[in-house]
Amino acid sequence: MSPMIPANLLIVEDEVLAAMALRDELEDAGYTVMDLTSRHQEALSAVAAAKPDLALVNIQLQGRDDGIELARQLHAVGVPVVFISGQVSRARSAQTYAIGSMPKPYSVADMVLAVAYLLAHLRGATMPPRPAQLEVFDAAPASPVAD
Amino acid sequence: MSTHGLPPAGDGGLSLALAIVAASPGPLLLMDSELRIVAASAAFLRDFGIDPLTVAGSALSSLGDGEWRSPQLRSLLAATLSGAAAIEAYEMDLSRPGLPTRQLIIHAQRLDDVDDEILRLLVAVTDVTEARADAEAREEAQRRNLVMLQEVRHRVANSLQIIASVLLQTARKTGSDETRSHLKDAHNRVMSIAALERQLAGSGEGQVELRAYFTSLCDSIGASMIADHDQISLIVTGERGSVDARISVSLGLIVTELVINALKHAFPDRRQGRITVACEFQGPNWVLAVVDNGVGMPTDKATLQTGLGTNIVLALAKQLHAQVEITSAAPGTRVTVSHDRVGLVEERGADAADGAAAGRHTASGK
Repeated sequence: MSPMIPANLLIVEDEVLAAMALRDELEDAGYTVMDLTSRHQEALSAVAAAKPDLALVNIQLQGRDDGIELARQLHAVGVPVVFISGQVSRARSAQTYAIGSMPKPYSVADMVLAVAYLLAHLRGATMPPRPAQLEVFDAAPASPVAD
Repeated sequence: MSTHGLPPAGDGGLSLALAIVAASPGPLLLMDSELRIVAASAAFLRDFGIDPLTVAGSALSSLGDGEWRSPQLRSLLAATLSGAAAIEAYEMDLSRPGLPTRQLIIHAQRLDDVDDEILRLLVAVTDVTEARADAEAREEAQRRNLVMLQEVRHRVANSLQIIASVLLQTARKTGSDETRSHLKDAHNRVMSIAALERQLAGSGEGQVELRAYFTSLCDSIGASMIADHDQISLIVTGERGSVDARISVSLGLIVTELVINALKHAFPDRRQGRITVACEFQGPNWVLAVVDNGVGMPTDKATLQTGLGTNIVLALAKQLHAQVEITSAAPGTRVTVSHDRVGLVEERGADAADGAAAGRHTASGK
């Protein structure tokens, strides 16, 4: 087993129960999970306060907010994004802004493996096995872009 | 049916050609070697609003208000007449003042009259406007249906995610190990159907490729139930083959139950082992096997016949008209679920005769 890479994670998910289950499992695995967010602006404010190592973003957010637009903005400030959405084709269409996609419905155990894989990928470390459901996009990991 | 502008039928070849035009239910023209119209079928005149009196001896380009004037079409007709080319399906739009544009397909065939060395052209015109519109409408309806189906699948995926999350959260909060175990089993059952949804969303059809589905399913079960993958391996082998989505739901749940059962009971005291899931196909029939190399099945009948997992396997097998067989794998246990469509017909006949309940071939579970 590859050693777990400590990381600060942001979850942006409109379904609070799904977000809670994911948060608990990721915390059990040793990650730090920021306060749960479900809106575009909330997520940007959270990122302004503390930049996460990886953002897990649903495409459909509360109040008709769109996770793809959020991913574009997160990518612009150097936050890597993985989509966590059943809208697989939309996620693929936005792969310029994301490093991967884990389609719903996912098992939270698989999601922990996916996070470990993507963090290792981002940091050039030895990568653990990739969960079958995780789609990794070819785009290079996001890097900070000056405004 | 009639032709218009007919010259006297002086030779056999011309007579035959005129008869074909006269009998044609569709738009058809007979043209001479100068590309002048010799005769037009009644359908041509009617469909394209041509005055019969203007047809005989006219060039195609002078018909109507000049809507048939097409240098490209004329060139192709000339080439066909000379034998240099053939018009199999020339498409053109026919635009007439005040009328919607019609989409036409034109086919031309040279007629050689050996006796008098006269060349003629037979030109068939097919109006495909309505057919094209119908095809476009069907494609549009299919696109709409696909969008709706994707939306439904997206909602189903979200709902399954919420249900799975609730089960997992509840499992975390309960103080009872037994209850936690049951809730996690329920979570795995939900994820079994979730894996199928993913498979269906990817295929876009009602058929599910079982090996890919079982692989995804076992990945999910393994991630949540196998703490040490060096201790227990869970692998999917066998042939590739597809079954209807309704069948795959039941098979996925059966695999889930059998794998959970093996993980819980076959490898006590951190015993190392392997669980193999395989499916084989013979025409419409299939055999699913879940085999472990663990400590083997219990021998007392009471233990064999209890448990929610066992009941689920037996009920689903009955629903699939399949037989369950449990044998020793020496070491370990082999559970096969087999479906034989020919056997099913015979069984139904026997059931009708003696009124026996369906599923009587089903064996007891672990």
